[in-house]
Amino acid sequence: MRKAFINLALILIGFLIYFLQANLFNWFTIAGVKPNLFVIYTLFIGLFGSKSMGIIYGSVFGIIIDLLFRDKIGTNLIGLALIGILSIIFDKNFSKDSRITIMFMVFGTTMVFEIVSYFMNYILNSINIEILEFVKILILEVIYNILITIIIYPLIQKFGYYIENEYKGNKILTRYF
Amino acid sequence: MYRNKRSGLLGIIITIIVLVFIVIFSNREANTPFFENVANKLVMPVQNGLTYLKNKLSGNSTFFTDISNLRTENQDLKERNSQLEQLLRELENIRTENETLKEYLGLTEKYGEYKTIPGYVINKDISNYSKTIVINVGKKDGIKENMTVIADEGLVGHVISVTDNTAKVRTIIDTSSSISCLMNTNKDSIVCKGTLESNTELKAMYISTDANLVQGDSVDTSGLGGIYPKGIHVGNVKKIITTQNKTDRYAMIETAVDFNKLNTVLVVKNN
Repeated sequence: MRKAFINLALILIGFLIYFLQANLFNWFTIAGVKPNLFVIYTLFIGLFGSKSMGIIYGSVFGIIIDLLFRDKIGTNLIGLALIGILSIIFDKNFSKDSRITIMFMVFGTTMVFEIVSYFMNYILNSINIEILEFVKILILEVIYNILITIIIYPLIQKFGYYIENEYKGNKILTRYF
Repeated sequence: MYRNKRSGLLGIIITIIVLVFIVIFSNREANTPFFENVANKLVMPVQNGLTYLKNKLSGNSTFFTDISNLRTENQDLKERNSQLEQLLRELENIRTENETLKEYLGLTEKYGEYKTIPGYVINKDISNYSKTIVINVGKKDGIKENMTVIADEGLVGHVISVTDNTAKVRTIIDTSSSISCLMNTNKDSIVCKGTLESNTELKAMYISTDANLVQGDSVDTSGLGGIYPKGIHVGNVKKIITTQNKTDRYAMIETAVDFNKLNTVLVVKNN
């Protein structure tokens, strides 16, 4: 029952993030650069949920975004699923209590996501490569994502531990040692 | 421990294989529209409401400032109106003259026959690297893939995919877009590509070495490439960047359409 509630809440949060991203963050930008909340969303589900949750949620929302905005599926799907995989690795090796670690995780995942999706976009849509502009946007996006994470981290942490207790139960060791 | 590591690796490999299959399967022509419709039905009712609210709010915020400007604007408009009336009379004369000349030449008025379907922009891409938009007209309104989308000021882009009630439009400022264009004064052909850098500029490339570039010159579509009809206004030459090698020189074209404020569009029905 609790797991169903958690999943329902996560799906609703996913759609809420979509609407925030499509409406609010389309004009609330840093020098015209939007953040990518789906990267943070997938990372946190992967960190706090069960092993496969990050990959599943990442893939589902990746497909939805691709279907809504792209003519070919793959760019967001592969990028977000990859973050799901990365978050499993992060969960095994790093503590989630430190804000600095979380900031580095957001830094890494945003970089990986954007580089992979840009590369995928190049393959699928044969876009013109503009490395300098890409790096400029990427840096701003990473900063924006980190700022958002710092602001909402306490909230995420609370809900995250609630999810973790439900899914991992007594298997959580990192928090006590 | 060893088993755990092996099963973890196996899980990752299986996930990657499944993802690759999903990408291949979902990109097949027959499957995409169905899934696109499902995704649209999930999101679009709320998105439509939000867009309506956003438009209402942005309309209200300018209401009071508009009142103070109305008087001066009215005066300007009256003057402009008389000028336009005069122009209209001149235009009427030119049109009749033009028609007679066309009849003589045996030309048909090709682009006057284009029918358009009006639509609203209801969604913009959430990514920083892609500049597609979603409009509120789809298959049910007669929209098909590759139809040209224009606004009052000029070219917007073309339809890349259609669902029952919406259509995705790749704008000309998207990095995967390239349009074959002609300069108005000397009819030199160029290719205009979207850039990541700007929402208001296009990069004009493949300029022939003997071409004469004029700053401020109007740029229109050439009709080559099979998507855009000939003669649709794209923008004006903003600056010309000359390089040591003349073959590498390029120009920046300022788009006629302001993509940051784009709300209404017209989809040109193919003949």
